[in-house]
Amino acid sequence: MKRWTVARGLRRAVGAVAAASLLIGLAACGGDADQQPGGEATVAANPEGIDDGTKLTLWTRAPLEAQAKALVQAYNASHKNQVELTITPNDDYVTRVGAAAGSGNLPDLFAADIVYVPNWTEQGLFADITSRIATLPSVAEINQGHLSAGTYQDKKYVLPFVLDLSVIFYNKELYQEAGLDPDKGPTTLAEFKEHALAIQKLNKKGVSGTYFGGNCGGCGVFTWFPMIWASGEQPMNEDGTASNLNGAAAKEVYAMWRELYEAGAVAPASKEETGATWVGDFQQGKIGVMPYPATLLATADKSVEVGVAPIPGLNGGQSTFIGGDGIGISKDSKVSDQAWNFLSWLMSEDAQVEVLAKSNSQVSRNDLAENKYATDPRVKIINQVAAAPDSHTPVARNFQQAFNAAGSPWVTLFRNAIFGDGSSIDADNQAITEVLAQ
Amino acid sequence: MSTMSRPLLATSSRRVLTGALALLFLFPLVWAAVASVAPQPGTAQVDGWGLGNYARLAGYQAGLTQYLINSVLISGMTVIFTLVVSLLGGYAFALFNFPGKNLLFLATLAILMVPYATLLIPLYVLLNSIGLQNSLVGLALVLTMFQLPFATFMMRISFEAVPRELAESAYVDGCGTFTALLRILVPAVKPGLITVGLFAFLAAWNDFIAPLILINDSDKVPLPLAVANIRGQVMGVVDYGATEAGVVILALPCVVLFLILQRHYVRGFMSGALKG
Amino acid sequence: MATPVERPTAVRSAARTTAGPGPDGQRRRAPRLRLARRNQGWLYAAPTALFVTVFFLIPVLLVAQMSLSDWGLFAGNRGFNAPDNYTDAVGQRLFWPAVWFTVKYTIITTIILIGVALGLAMMVQEVALWNSFLRTSFLVPSALGLASASLLFYALYAPEGGPFARLLSGLGIGDGTVSFLGSPNAALWSTVAVIVWRFAGFYMLLLLVGLQGISSDVYEAARVDGANRWQIFVHVTLPLLKPSLALCTILCITGSLLAFDQFYILTRGGPDNSTITIVLLVYNIAFGGRNDLGVAAALSLIVLLALIVINVVQFTALRGRED
Repeated sequence: MKRWTVARGLRRAVGAVAAASLLIGLAACGGDADQQPGGEATVAANPEGIDDGTKLTLWTRAPLEAQAKALVQAYNASHKNQVELTITPNDDYVTRVGAAAGSGNLPDLFAADIVYVPNWTEQGLFADITSRIATLPSVAEINQGHLSAGTYQDKKYVLPFVLDLSVIFYNKELYQEAGLDPDKGPTTLAEFKEHALAIQKLNKKGVSGTYFGGNCGGCGVFTWFPMIWASGEQPMNEDGTASNLNGAAAKEVYAMWRELYEAGAVAPASKEETGATWVGDFQQGKIGVMPYPATLLATADKSVEVGVAPIPGLNGGQSTFIGGDGIGISKDSKVSDQAWNFLSWLMSEDAQVEVLAKSNSQVSRNDLAENKYATDPRVKIINQVAAAPDSHTPVARNFQQAFNAAGSPWVTLFRNAIFGDGSSIDADNQAITEVLAQ
Repeated sequence: MSTMSRPLLATSSRRVLTGALALLFLFPLVWAAVASVAPQPGTAQVDGWGLGNYARLAGYQAGLTQYLINSVLISGMTVIFTLVVSLLGGYAFALFNFPGKNLLFLATLAILMVPYATLLIPLYVLLNSIGLQNSLVGLALVLTMFQLPFATFMMRISFEAVPRELAESAYVDGCGTFTALLRILVPAVKPGLITVGLFAFLAAWNDFIAPLILINDSDKVPLPLAVANIRGQVMGVVDYGATEAGVVILALPCVVLFLILQRHYVRGFMSGALKG
Repeated sequence: MATPVERPTAVRSAARTTAGPGPDGQRRRAPRLRLARRNQGWLYAAPTALFVTVFFLIPVLLVAQMSLSDWGLFAGNRGFNAPDNYTDAVGQRLFWPAVWFTVKYTIITTIILIGVALGLAMMVQEVALWNSFLRTSFLVPSALGLASASLLFYALYAPEGGPFARLLSGLGIGDGTVSFLGSPNAALWSTVAVIVWRFAGFYMLLLLVGLQGISSDVYEAARVDGANRWQIFVHVTLPLLKPSLALCTILCITGSLLAFDQFYILTRGGPDNSTITIVLLVYNIAFGGRNDLGVAAALSLIVLLALIVINVVQFTALRGRED
């Protein structure tokens, strides 16, 4: 068997060497380096990529469906290249990309949850676009958190696709009914607890004070890391190899949720929520106040009067999880110049303002934060908290395994802390460290 | 045929009880068909009865037709490969003697012993190296291999059950073995062929884990995978309506084929293969 | 290697009796025919041999090699590292939970499934039109694939809009938040229900075949001896059904140990990893973040070995009982 693979390998190697020598020969003859995709000459000649009617494939995950569709539609309407979008359920995305990458079948472009980007960048799934990014006029303004997540050994591989920030959403109508000020969200975690309990006291059928993804690791980091950050603590160490989720502030956060749960202020479906439907109930007007993805402001606005507040810490402050997806050109793409055309358009004002900002989504360029559509005071709050000093994009090589994966040690930790007896936080935290340190 | 002279229950109450049991078994499928056209919140068919769920399925990503075509291609190729290979193989095992015959037969049956999962990972790597990754043909070849133990076994005993005189008379007329096979023996083993073809089709149509691992392009996936994906599309709400519609489309050819070929299936099974 | 003696002799005698006239002609014809036959035999068996070698034997060798190598999903083969993959596989956080759950699931499913199948078989064994209808109804679920059946029940188990949920809340059971897949026990039993629905008919068919093999004389004799219905069942039917029951048990145990589709679709191993089966673990290790094909290969070889051991044990237990 080994002989067989070696023979195959040899054959391929010989083929590759032959092809390479042919190319080198041609190149030596007539400066054909210009024609090689991604070669320095093509990048310089086409800083915006090539728009020649190529079909491009793009994969993204379900939570960002609305923005992805809007962007793709706008691009297809104004360019010769046509992007074919594939949306995959969140839970399947990692395995889907993994299987495709292993067999060399990644699409031309694909987006990745920013917390997976370090891992996938290191594994070589994205193509190196350092020189291309350098040609962007707006390169200094691009969100640094996302850019650095996709940087490996000083080379850049990823641009921000859709920024998703976590903020507190509250239902203004329910606030009014409960006697709370509908224009003021909670400013400390204690107030958050009070507000949730007050809504629960309304005893309205089907309505609960708050909601959370009780079985969803990704939801947990997205909504609770800011609470810890705003309380002045760090959930992980500097390089993401050890967990600090048994710190004092963290334990207080778990205690608060535990109190809410035991007081019945958390919707019963939260306990088994794996993340597939964690945003549904709020949109149906059944939840009073909960941490929520800012990208859904426009969607939720359709059915509920939404109030927005930054996520507070124990004693105030504000923070957000600068999440969302980064996007890059895959290692398997054969049309990287054309794929780059989409990415360079993505970073342009046309895309950022006319598509993203227009639909009340976050822009990825700091210089466009003040734009003609950012009139909604709620959007201003979101933009503000994105620039707050306590807002971060956490980076860890094994982030997905430690936090987002189904049944990860993080899920075990907070489920024990909230639904169990809360005694194993330190031991569970050790399990997270072990996975992070792999 | 074993019989009891006195029935345990009076016929009417027995009928009621057993009828209820039968309905219990039939309920899920019937319900899926009804629910796929019934109004349900959170689906594409919120008010009134209609085909809204099917419409959503039709327009989902690459489109229902594309997924159906993929499934048909995969199943069709698997059936053809399986029939051809097991026909020739069964013929060889039953009516010829050649060195290594038993070893090969045992190796074929050994496929049953090795779990699917153990083989799919090296098959993933193997298909990559021979350039058949992410292809319907590659998937069909893998599915054929999994069918071989049952199919070869079935065809072998079908050939062995052919009366000796028939086989001998074929050779007497000076036919080559191939002509004998085609003109005389194939008609004789038709029930076996039908059983093998039906099993191969059902297995290929319904397979889930192999396409999950071996197919990457989202417009090449077969129907079961597509229906499993459509569940989590709409943000925050699982689309049960589309799932029900998808199940109906998945199940329809299987149930229809099953009912039509039921006599062959049951008979082929009960006669010859498993004698006590 | 046991060679079937019958066939070649018959073929040879056929050749002899149907060969041309004269002893010379006969003798000359038989060996040529035999040789030609042997080569032709190989020709017909060649496609089978090709498939078995390329898509079965080579992968088996490959998985053995992978289990002994550091083989990443993207990085490929990076050289031998035995026995690291095996220790990693067994030391996996979820290895023992997955093993324990798979075994528990197998035992529960086998007992319930075979019991139900036996009951159904006893019910429909007589030749009657009504029984034909019953048999067909019980068999129809087996026309569905396992993935389709799982998707169907996924919709049936919908927490609010699904028929079961509505039935239960209509009957006043539960507080309106009944969750069929939401707690470890509920998820387990809900999945078992899917499997029983899907496979009861198939195993019923296998048992019917066995029942048919029991001649009515045996029953007559037992009745003449004054045995009642229950005694006949326990002392006559069951013992004579042993081979069929054994076959069903082996098939059911093997199938349950390798369960994947239904858990991937219904629970994805949740809640809290309480329904992760071994094969689901293999899949997650290979493609789901850890991306380590070597460890996945090692784990799947462990599964193979366990299966072989279990099947050998079952076979010997069978033979022991038959004697």
